[in-house]
Amino acid sequence: MPRSAVNLDALRDRLRHLEQPARHGVLPFGVAAIDAALPAGGLLLGAMHEILSAGGDEEDGAAAAGFAAGILARLVPEGGPGPVLWCLKRPDVYGPGLAAHGLVPARLVLVAARRDEEILWAVEEGLGEPGLAAVVGEVGRLPMVAGRRLQLAAERSGVTLLLLRRWRSATEAAAERARPSAAATRWRVAALPSADTAGEPGVGRPRWRVELVRCRGGVPAEWDVEVADATGHVSLSAGLVDRPPAASRKIGRSAAAPGRRRTG
Amino acid sequence: MIAAGGRRLLAAVNPAAAAAGLAPGMPLADALSFLPGLLTAAAEPAADAAALVRLAQWCARYSPWTAPDGGDGIGIEITGCAHLWGGEEKLAADLARRLARPIDFDGGIAHRIAIAGTLGAAWALARFAAVPGRPALPPPGTEQAALAALPVEALRLDPTTAAGLRRVGLCRIGDLYPMPRDALARRFGDTVACRLDQALGQLPEPLSPLGETPVRRVRLSFAEPIADPADLCRATERLASDLAARLAREGWGARRLGLAFHRVDGRVEEIRLGTARPSRDARHLAGLLVAKLDTVDPGLGVEDMILALFAAEPLPAEQTSMHPFSRWGRGGDFAAASIAPLLDRLGARLGLAAISRLAARESHIPERASISVSAAEVNVVPGLPEGLNPEARKPDAEFMDAGSGAARCPRMTKEGNAAKPPRPVRLFSPPEPIDAVWLLPDDPPFRFTWRRRPYRVRCADGPERIAEEWWTEGAAVFSAGAIRDYYRVEDAEGRRFWLFRAGLADKPLTRWYIHGVFS
Repeated sequence: MPRSAVNLDALRDRLRHLEQPARHGVLPFGVAAIDAALPAGGLLLGAMHEILSAGGDEEDGAAAAGFAAGILARLVPEGGPGPVLWCLKRPDVYGPGLAAHGLVPARLVLVAARRDEEILWAVEEGLGEPGLAAVVGEVGRLPMVAGRRLQLAAERSGVTLLLLRRWRSATEAAAERARPSAAATRWRVAALPSADTAGEPGVGRPRWRVELVRCRGGVPAEWDVEVADATGHVSLSAGLVDRPPAASRKIGRSAAAPGRRRTG
Repeated sequence: MIAAGGRRLLAAVNPAAAAAGLAPGMPLADALSFLPGLLTAAAEPAADAAALVRLAQWCARYSPWTAPDGGDGIGIEITGCAHLWGGEEKLAADLARRLARPIDFDGGIAHRIAIAGTLGAAWALARFAAVPGRPALPPPGTEQAALAALPVEALRLDPTTAAGLRRVGLCRIGDLYPMPRDALARRFGDTVACRLDQALGQLPEPLSPLGETPVRRVRLSFAEPIADPADLCRATERLASDLAARLAREGWGARRLGLAFHRVDGRVEEIRLGTARPSRDARHLAGLLVAKLDTVDPGLGVEDMILALFAAEPLPAEQTSMHPFSRWGRGGDFAAASIAPLLDRLGARLGLAAISRLAARESHIPERASISVSAAEVNVVPGLPEGLNPEARKPDAEFMDAGSGAARCPRMTKEGNAAKPPRPVRLFSPPEPIDAVWLLPDDPPFRFTWRRRPYRVRCADGPERIAEEWWTEGAAVFSAGAIRDYYRVEDAEGRRFWLFRAGLADKPLTRWYIHGVFS
């Protein structure tokens, strides 16, 4: 019936508008596969995003910090790069390392606090300040209520929040992973063995496994990407794009047998 | 009553006991023989001294220049303050009235007040001329006449000197005036002449105040003591706006403030705070003070609030901060102003030393190439365009290793970021020691143990040699050997670490460390 179809469309529009505000803009990754998996076509600005570590990196969170640095390098609001508030327990971020991912270290304001509650308080204060470009917080324990408050504060002021989770013990890590999250997206970044460059010895191009663990309005997915370069952009690993010669032979064989569907 | 040398002596007596003939220094046994019904309590000199200090802090409501004087008195420097109270007599009367109140200081304090042109004269008059209820207030310039009638003990001399003077027949201070000074000095030492000159004002005797002296002070006195938090908030805001108006007139901004609450029972509570940048925004300062109000216990009521400015810096008119929630604060000049209140709020709770920024330095040594500068030290604002910010430099030039001292592996030049050797995202300070196993002296380790976990190395880049900067003087940063060979290693799971070997490979005492983790 046409009238109910019209009502359905109007209803879908309203639902879409309610579920994904995207009032403050989106930051696309520049990689088609990742942007397609995110409901708004990119990382939501003015929202809370969690970045977890995996594979033994939970205590240091180096891959998560690099991923966040790439995002911050590209997050430039109108009017120029703004200051970024980085709240952590031990000031162990290293300027030249962040600069390699495109984040200018002069933009950072570091706030050191000893306890998780103080870090969450500093993050919330930062979210109330629209002059900031983004806030980064490194926390271990994040209660559900506090997470919800931070998400609402980010939506109100338009400041993007990246929460890096760092845990010192396996039990804390397990408990925190199991807790439901109020973030718009939850990522897990782990280091992958580097891609060998044409058989040369030594460390090749470093890579990450980036997993979108949870996304509001989207489906979990994972990608193997190259580490964020000097402009902050990640790129899909070359291994998926340029197939090695053996696969092209397979294509030739299956083309000779028509009617058989090739998967891959 | 105090115990001294195995005997118990009287330390102090109240007026009733003094009337019966007891005096301090009398042995307890003798005193009991005079008055069998004598009540005694142990003397607590430390508690007495602390109570004297508290009283001196309370007296700061008259002037910030107060200090305990001896063990039983307080000196207050009221030059320039007396007009606020309507004159010296009214000031003395107000002080007497407040000290005698029963609620004050657990029952009122018996006191004698004197105001004079010099500290020595005031000391003498307070103890030997004033009586409770009638302060000694000689007109200015007449100290000589006022002191003449007092006994020589009023010159703060020790008992032997005073007894010596009496023996010679000099019983009053007036007798000393015509005596030649060198004769006095020869016979009794320098102290007599010195004390006399101090009392008459010919020798300066400054009073060292108890706490830090403020640069500016604003005071609010209440007719009725207040204890309600809302009232305290309103009073704080009023004080902050008064101080801000004064600073605006003079072109200064506040860096360090103290707000003192004088309670009715004589105790003083205080809040201290500092700001990251000089500020004279009344709302901002009031907000910072009000945030700490819950640490103050008003007791039975607060009768005075004094906002003191301890450190200030020049603040020209055009740098006054805008409304902190202005949406204009997104870049350009306004980014500077809009983030400073946030830093002040964070610093008020966590301490200004907790807020820092990363500054680049020209150095090969990794931990010196990027240092963190505390917000309390530097007035640099992040995000400001370079022309306005004198400390900012171009990032590319700064964070690139100058490189002439480092022998870089040619493999690295084939990577994408050729000119800059890779640096980790996380740097440990100090570097953590690891146990490493390597095959040949110049090889990277193929296995190492870190934080009690083993790692197996799959591939490695390096070495990058970083030697000490021989042109800087001072102690060596490196404890074992002045040379570090850095390797970027990757383990089987893909994690990339920055290891270094301290010392040359063929020497027996080489140690391996991990300096950072790559992303």
